[in-house]
Amino acid sequence: MDFGGLLLGFEFVLSFQGIFFVFLGVFIGTLIGMMPGLGPITAIAVMIPMTYGMDPVIAIVLMAGVYYGAVFGGSSASILLNAPGTSSTVVTAFDGYPMAQKGQAGKALAIAAIASFVGGTVAVILTMLFAPLMANVAVSFGPAEYFALMFMGLLLITTLSEGSTTKALISAVLGFMAVTIGTDAQTGTSRFTFGSMNLLDGIDFLVVALGLFALAEVCFLIINRNNKMQNTANLGSLRLNKKELKEMSGPMSRHSVLGFIIGVLPGAGATMASFMSYIMEKKISKNPEEFGKGSIKGLAAPETSNNAAATGSFVPLLSLGIPGSGTTAVMLAALLVLGVKPGPLLIEESPEIFWGVIASMYLGNIFLLLLNLPLIPYISKILQIPRQLLISLVVMFCLLGVYTVSFSTFDMLILLVFGILGYFMKLVNIPAAPFILAFILGGMLEQNLRQALTISNGSFDIFWNSPTAMALFAISLLSFIVPLLFRKKKMK
Amino acid sequence: MKKLMMILGIALVLFLAACGDESASSNGGAEGSDGDWVPEGNIELVAPSAAGGGWDTTSRMVAQVLNEEGITERNVGVINKEGGSGSVGWAYIAERNDPHNIFITNPQIVTSPLSGIAELGWEDFTPIANVIADYAAFVVHADAEWNDLNELMDDIKANPQDVSVVGNSVAGGLDHLQFLKIAKAAGVDPTTVKYVATQDGSAMTSLLNGNVDVYSTGLAEVIEQVRAGNIKVLAITSEERIEGDIVSEFPTAVEQGIDETFINWRGFMGPGDMDPAAVAYYEDKFKQVSDSEAFAEIREQFGWSEVYMDSEEFKAHIQSEHDAYRELLEDLGMLKQ
Amino acid sequence: MKFTLNKKLSTALSVISIAYLIMAYQLPEYTLVPVDSDVIPKILGYILLFLSIILFFLKDEEKKEASLPRKEIGMLLGTAVLILFYIFLLEIVGFIIMTTLFIFVSSRFYGYKKYITNGIVSIGFSVAMYLLFNELLLVRLPSGWLPL
Repeated sequence: MDFGGLLLGFEFVLSFQGIFFVFLGVFIGTLIGMMPGLGPITAIAVMIPMTYGMDPVIAIVLMAGVYYGAVFGGSSASILLNAPGTSSTVVTAFDGYPMAQKGQAGKALAIAAIASFVGGTVAVILTMLFAPLMANVAVSFGPAEYFALMFMGLLLITTLSEGSTTKALISAVLGFMAVTIGTDAQTGTSRFTFGSMNLLDGIDFLVVALGLFALAEVCFLIINRNNKMQNTANLGSLRLNKKELKEMSGPMSRHSVLGFIIGVLPGAGATMASFMSYIMEKKISKNPEEFGKGSIKGLAAPETSNNAAATGSFVPLLSLGIPGSGTTAVMLAALLVLGVKPGPLLIEESPEIFWGVIASMYLGNIFLLLLNLPLIPYISKILQIPRQLLISLVVMFCLLGVYTVSFSTFDMLILLVFGILGYFMKLVNIPAAPFILAFILGGMLEQNLRQALTISNGSFDIFWNSPTAMALFAISLLSFIVPLLFRKKKMK
Repeated sequence: MKKLMMILGIALVLFLAACGDESASSNGGAEGSDGDWVPEGNIELVAPSAAGGGWDTTSRMVAQVLNEEGITERNVGVINKEGGSGSVGWAYIAERNDPHNIFITNPQIVTSPLSGIAELGWEDFTPIANVIADYAAFVVHADAEWNDLNELMDDIKANPQDVSVVGNSVAGGLDHLQFLKIAKAAGVDPTTVKYVATQDGSAMTSLLNGNVDVYSTGLAEVIEQVRAGNIKVLAITSEERIEGDIVSEFPTAVEQGIDETFINWRGFMGPGDMDPAAVAYYEDKFKQVSDSEAFAEIREQFGWSEVYMDSEEFKAHIQSEHDAYRELLEDLGMLKQ
Repeated sequence: MKFTLNKKLSTALSVISIAYLIMAYQLPEYTLVPVDSDVIPKILGYILLFLSIILFFLKDEEKKEASLPRKEIGMLLGTAVLILFYIFLLEIVGFIIMTTLFIFVSSRFYGYKKYITNGIVSIGFSVAMYLLFNELLLVRLPSGWLPL
């Protein structure tokens, strides 16, 4: 550990200017993150020309603030409106929205803020201590290992929801089918596009999520539009009691590490991290039936994880110069504009940049918490808007969210289709969560499987020969079989 | 029900009004006093991709220079039209048919229509000017057995199933074609080359951990890894060596006796049958961008090469590329029937 | 035999899976890779078919709250129609006008009767969003008829 380096970083960042720009960045980032459809990628992309010509360290500080702000900002719409603004906050809605509906919006937002802070901060510490070591982990994953990882995720899908396993599986298969729409990367074949160029790139994840979750929920809001929300007395209160804080601490400590590790893997990213954490937390929980109904653990786990993963994805960028996600690819472009060339030699040759980034991440996290906690009571007041008006605003939020991602009216039609699908699925008790998870994992599962088999000329040896892949397969089989055995025993 | 009718009524009126208005937007711009074209409103650079991609970054930087240096009188903004590997954006330009809307493109506008991905192609648009270019680089692990491109190509000829090539584009995309273009010139049968498409940035890690053998990518992406001694460059695809600190050490394919190049050019095009005066206006503006010091610095930082072509040169260049790609895609069986 | 919800669902899903399978079998062949683009879709199609057959023989779960009152069908359809109009007119008429109209009209449609508040909110929301996106974020929303 290079304490001198860290001090150097703080020296750069802890100037009046540095603090001012972190604060500004967090503010802008939170604002952008709250906008429908705009997440960290757009936030950074639009900042690139603005930082042109700025002092690199200051610009990086600003960017780090914008980045953290944007990652966090997406959570509020998930929690309050069931309308995830970006893909990494979809899981946040699973338990955040039910909590808000119970009149605990302020509490839910506070949990999200604290979990984000912990996840982000722990991940920065891990980055600082283990960046070069973790870089090796990032490099050790190939298509076979990724396939095993995705396989594990898919196998655990059934545990995501209550009720009929058959229906959960049907939902997952439908989600997997939806992601096969578009151009197949390995062959360039366009699949199930019905000749429409708009479908060639596939359907954007956000369109599916907003449709299945937000629009479907809107249908129920419309039907119950004249009911007032219950228990609005403590809506904005963010007071958490000791028991609740204790309940959060478990998931926060677990998932800041898990999220960080998944984030380090190029291509996995924050969305996957949040799902994996949610599933794992439910799996080990003593009361899994609480999940999906406003469980504190179910909210804290994904929120910790997606922030930890967001930070983790900086490891391959800073230590290897390899952008492992869409966001870090944009970050790379942003650094290039500033004259910084991230690569394996960055830490050695320009320590002030590396440590500057680390130090501004610490600061960014702290300011995020300082800025957001006082705002929570005001943000939660959104739910006091009369239902009839709020419904229109939520629909608008979804439409705008989709439009600002692709600027295509076609995608808004697809949104409507998924909204209708989501509503029907709710009517017939088919859960939406497996659909969305299969949509994320399925595409990566298929591509990694076929990449692996292309490399091995069709031989499955590539899986048997990888200890990591075999270990992952073993874990997934065990976690699938062991509960079945236990259930059998209980029945006897 | 009454409410529903009322809403439908309002919407219908709007719809009819909108249809009636469509013709008005097609002829923008005005003739200046001396017959020159000047923009009447703000200029839109369309990036047919999401924010953050290569097209998006290039147009944002060009727009930045146009605005900051005061090259254009009017404000220049970037809009993203994502979808269909660019074809959604192209359709948008064709539909607008307004000289205030121009777009950025690269060789994909040649290859996409050939492989049948897109309906519209470069012949449907007016090439305005090329601004920058990128070259491809073929890299292998530092410990790999190959030391130059010929050794690699010979191995592929002998045992094609033992060498896998990875790239960030789909099969039939540029990372794939750029490798095949050179391989074909080296005498390799392009249909035997094993290509693995990754789309999540894991191509470089797959090369570093030995899962794949060759990475076909852009020149700028490899410089730092070469400097760190992790990988070695077998060839780049420019005509001559590139000037610069590390890059000047990268051998070209041409100097190794494989007489073929690949240029990932990036330039602007406007709608088909664009007013020649408008083309001239933009040519001049992009020339000024290309010559400016601010843009030189940007090129340097992103590792782009300066390749300015005016409308005529640009068009001739694309025409010559068209035939080469046609042949290549035909060999692969990916040519649209 | 009563045609239960699960049986209806099962029928619909098997139709989907067969249609999907037919399309999967029509995918063009690409010979340069060991696993072609049709393999996974075919597997998915058969799994869905299999699951829908299982579903056919499953007993319905007890009905929960989710049911659709008849008179609300009109409300949901109306919402869909409003959204469709918004989608088709957005790029022609422009963001500000369409968004203002959408929020105002649909809130009224759901029974919000405070016209002045409604007007202020809908205009305020659309103008604020427009300015935010266009001026601060440099993300362009369509201006349409308004001379902006």
